[in-house]
Amino acid sequence: MGERRDDGGSLWLPATEVDVHRFVRALMSAYEVVGARERRGRLILERLDDPSDLRLAYPPRVHSPKKFLFPNWEKLFRFRLEGTVRLEAEHAAPPRVLFGLHPCDLHAVRILDDCLFDGQPDSAYRAKREATVLVGVDCEPDDHCFCTSMGTDRVATGFDLFLHRDADRYLVQVGTPRGRGLLDRFAPGLAGRPGEPPLPLQPKRTRKRLVQPVEALASLLEEGYEHPIWNEIGDRCLGCGTCTLLCPSCYCFTVEDRLHLDLAGGERVRVWDSCQFDQFVQLSGGREARANQADRQRHRFFRKYKYLWERYRRTACVGCGRCSRECLAGIDPVEVLNRLLEERGVPGAGPPPGGEYRPDLAELVSAEPLGQGVKRLRLRLPRPVSFDPGTFLTVSVFGLGEAPFTIASAPGDGAHLELAVAARGSLTQTLHRLRPGDVVGVRGPFGTGFPLDEMAGRDVLLVAGGLGMVILRSLLMTLLARRRDFGRVVLLYGARSPGAFLFQDDLRRWRGGGALDVRLAVEEPSAPWCGPRGNVTRLLRRLDLDPGRTVAAVSGPADMYRFTTPLLTGLGIPPERVFLNLERRMKCGLGKCGKCRIDDLCVCEAGPVVRYSRVRDLKEAVER
Amino acid sequence: MKLRAGFFDFTGCEGCQLTVLNLEDEFLDLAGLIDVVEFREVMTGGGGDLDVAFVEGSICGPDQEARLKDIRRRSRLLVALGACADTTGINILVRLQDPEVLHGRVYGPGAPVRARGHPRAVGDVVPVDARVPGCPVDGGEFLRVLQALAVGRTPELPAHPVCVECKLAELPCVFDEGEMCLGPVVRAGCGARCPEGGDRCRGCRGLVDNPRSSSYRRVLEEHGLTEDDMLAEFRLFNLDGGGER
Repeated sequence: MGERRDDGGSLWLPATEVDVHRFVRALMSAYEVVGARERRGRLILERLDDPSDLRLAYPPRVHSPKKFLFPNWEKLFRFRLEGTVRLEAEHAAPPRVLFGLHPCDLHAVRILDDCLFDGQPDSAYRAKREATVLVGVDCEPDDHCFCTSMGTDRVATGFDLFLHRDADRYLVQVGTPRGRGLLDRFAPGLAGRPGEPPLPLQPKRTRKRLVQPVEALASLLEEGYEHPIWNEIGDRCLGCGTCTLLCPSCYCFTVEDRLHLDLAGGERVRVWDSCQFDQFVQLSGGREARANQADRQRHRFFRKYKYLWERYRRTACVGCGRCSRECLAGIDPVEVLNRLLEERGVPGAGPPPGGEYRPDLAELVSAEPLGQGVKRLRLRLPRPVSFDPGTFLTVSVFGLGEAPFTIASAPGDGAHLELAVAARGSLTQTLHRLRPGDVVGVRGPFGTGFPLDEMAGRDVLLVAGGLGMVILRSLLMTLLARRRDFGRVVLLYGARSPGAFLFQDDLRRWRGGGALDVRLAVEEPSAPWCGPRGNVTRLLRRLDLDPGRTVAAVSGPADMYRFTTPLLTGLGIPPERVFLNLERRMKCGLGKCGKCRIDDLCVCEAGPVVRYSRVRDLKEAVER
Repeated sequence: MKLRAGFFDFTGCEGCQLTVLNLEDEFLDLAGLIDVVEFREVMTGGGGDLDVAFVEGSICGPDQEARLKDIRRRSRLLVALGACADTTGINILVRLQDPEVLHGRVYGPGAPVRARGHPRAVGDVVPVDARVPGCPVDGGEFLRVLQALAVGRTPELPAHPVCVECKLAELPCVFDEGEMCLGPVVRAGCGARCPEGGDRCRGCRGLVDNPRSSSYRRVLEEHGLTEDDMLAEFRLFNLDGGGER
């Protein structure tokens, strides 16, 4: 089935490592450029003096962009105390590029935005935010990452530029006009290149995962306020605040005056504080609310996964793993939450919202060209599925979307499927660039396929035009696997040119095998073609089948149906035994989205294989 | 109004006074805050009333006690300067030995005994208004305490542990390097100077007000440390306050 070309207007430009370093060097003429670099064996996020210091592939261990967007010891204003008090604004934020931020950290900036722009926007933060260019880069999760559970392993917006790694080069995705402008100005050679189709973004895999979706957490904590686990982690907690200081979205602060030694002036500064520290919540008289570490840890979890979720519909945790990675006491949010989730079990409300839209992850086993810009993709599914030939699967490339594809193989073991994909739009082009081992999302199979029971004991006529052969291959291989159950099997297959036949190996084998009768026609023949010339209707005219015991399966472009259906019924095959493949670009596969309706017929449920008798009078089906 | 200040040394190495003397860049500003009227290391004389007395070293024996009490009597404010004055510092190790034997070993048999008895912290002898912890003190912290006193504010020490400063400085965790570190229970304020220099925190600034002793002990045990290992590490600066004994 086809898919709509939709790349969201985003531009993807190829760049080498050298291009990137040149770009960084050029940026340094106008910006302070900050990136991951090594200092005495430790990776840190710091100003770069030399572009070659920049590390773009680094483990998720460095400080987050908070270090620069919401710095510790940030000056809010200055004061002079000579004679009368004078207050002076802090200097403007320096233009800065944070180069090479991981997707989780870009998500964390949006959390800071949520919190600090809410109500009266924090102008000190806004000044730095606006003066700071964010350049993302792809990452490899480590053992503490759980971004896949938080939906932060990929990022679609919130960056000016994003560097996707593609083998030994990068594809630079432009996220904002500012990002585009930076390329034009500081990397004109790179900016002038023609854009490429987006990369197939592989979903990440993390060792740590939440056992239930993140949406479950708010109610989980609500019920778990008095749970003994808070005392358990409170007993382990050292109160050192490492979890919150390193958290990319924790921003609680205290405000202090820093007086110059000469007492003539000073600054009011804000200093990172931590809900894990003593005296964080002081009451009058020196008493402390949340006086024990259990209360403090509970507050941290509630704030991350409940309070801010309820306010912004975004957890204040991006699954970066910094807190557990650096916690000497080994307090790990995934362990804590999973224990609570497992104790509660799956809530009675049923599957998580949106679950039917969430694909399983399938691995590409092999990909081979079939000619004419079509590739055969063989997928391994996470669990076996059963399906009838003629049904379809949706395939997702995360970041690009999802499209339906009919299955080109017989049900077989159910764990492996073949698709034949023509490179048309960005999603299919992306599928063509997948390599074995890459992962795509799959849902389905969906729909109604060919009625094998009805075909049993009868002759089967298959009529294929162009790419319509894909779905009939599935049927044909199914018939051949149970060959004795059927009478004659005849395949009529028309293509534009001799090279345009798909599955040429199969065709050769079938023609030589004697199990079925294969007849081909070509509209624009070229040597050494010596078969019939014309479209598939030409083959129908000379057909020698007993219409009374024949079932027809027809798949091809709409034009073909207009010509073939009258011929088939003219031969005497009753319309209720003529099956058409009416592919439509359905979005949900669940009978909901309305995009695949033909008059009142929902193709994804009643089809894509439908009886001609059912659609003969539907104006949208065949006639237009 | 400048503060009349005096510096006094008792039993210690005088390294903290040296740290103060090394604050060359801040001297002019310092001179704007205080008039130093007594400082044995750099001047003679003194004996009058003081706004603030900085006392360095531990207090050993009745002579030193009497001298400290005199300083206290004529000083409006008294500050314990450095670990020896603040918590007895490494001097407390004397308690693990016979003082007479130790004296003979250090000064030779028959040498005149200059200080007798177990060393004590300044605060164990007279009331202390402020503390500058550390061995030696941190020059910046000394200045902050001094400034607070000059403007009439109660000086505050960080309540959080050294871990905080390690994280802010983006230093690797000492435990990850396979060593024991006292950072999780020791008061910050030094800027994690020792981990920064490649060492571990040995606890010279003393423990935080509320050390999470049982949590910390569990961490140490999980890292395979025995009680003896722990005691040996705490003994250097924190024989009294470890909560680990």
